[in-house]
Amino acid sequence: MSNPERRVPAFAHPAEEMFARILDFYGVAWEYEPRTFPLEWDEQGNVTEAFTPDFYLPDQDLYVELTTLRPRLASHKNRRLRRMKELYPDINVKLFKRREMRDLMLKYGLLQEAGRIQGTAAQPPSKDHDPETA
Amino acid sequence: MTRKLPEAYAWLSDDVREVLFSSETLQQRVHELGAAISRDYAGRNPLLVGVLKGVVFFMADLLRAITVPVEVDFIAVSSYTPEARAQGIVRLAKDLETPLAGRHVLFVEDVIDTGLTLSYLLRNLRARQPASLEVCALFDKPAHRLINIPLRYKGFDLPDRFVVGYGLDYQERYRHLPFVGVLRAQALI
Repeated sequence: MSNPERRVPAFAHPAEEMFARILDFYGVAWEYEPRTFPLEWDEQGNVTEAFTPDFYLPDQDLYVELTTLRPRLASHKNRRLRRMKELYPDINVKLFKRREMRDLMLKYGLLQEAGRIQGTAAQPPSKDHDPETA
Repeated sequence: MTRKLPEAYAWLSDDVREVLFSSETLQQRVHELGAAISRDYAGRNPLLVGVLKGVVFFMADLLRAITVPVEVDFIAVSSYTPEARAQGIVRLAKDLETPLAGRHVLFVEDVIDTGLTLSYLLRNLRARQPASLEVCALFDKPAHRLINIPLRYKGFDLPDRFVVGYGLDYQERYRHLPFVGVLRAQALI
């Protein structure tokens, strides 16, 4: 169940840690950022843009990407998800948007955490060197 | 189709923006589900299982719409409270009183969104070796789904909005409303 190695990874954002704890609570296996998908290449074939979904749920064969960005700041992430679907149509990726994250926190009684999502404009820079991504 | 709040519930207008499903719409769909279940489970003496507390409204109406012999039982799980989180994993707060082995079990849910709770419960119930185990959900919120769960019966798809009423709550409030309404953003948190 849950994170098989039981080691707590260094989460990039507190919302990711909360999400992992919820999955653990319900006994759902997960992996954190197990795979990076190249999205763009330069003329020499070097990867210039990539996408690393936050979670992988192996029993569901589902990648999950979380965002607490306001919708107007999430356009770059949405574009990359569209590109992901073009290049990897067989890979299932679910995006939990800002409001969905807030509702998830509310559903599980995490009112302070939901309030933080409600009150923030964006997130820290991410692993993909994209200032708009989480 | 959306509607204004019924006059008797005008006091809710600061919290509830609009009615998503009226009481009449809910009752009509529940009766359709009851008719389908009566047809499919004739002669099988099904056991309807619900998880407390939100399902009680739907369960009560659904049972009365079923015209074949049927039994009911309830289960409760620990919520994701700080105390439960400290224990690390979801636990049964109240178990079923009815043995499931060999029974045709229909799990009845008010709403399915992530599927996390239901997935846990179905694993638990399946281990008790029922003759069959199917799911009936009044509301489905597919935008939130993390765990894929086949639904034998479904009432309505819910939009990606925070809704309350007919068993659905926000911090234990609004469950008693006979309709389903969309909660205003300012009523949250």
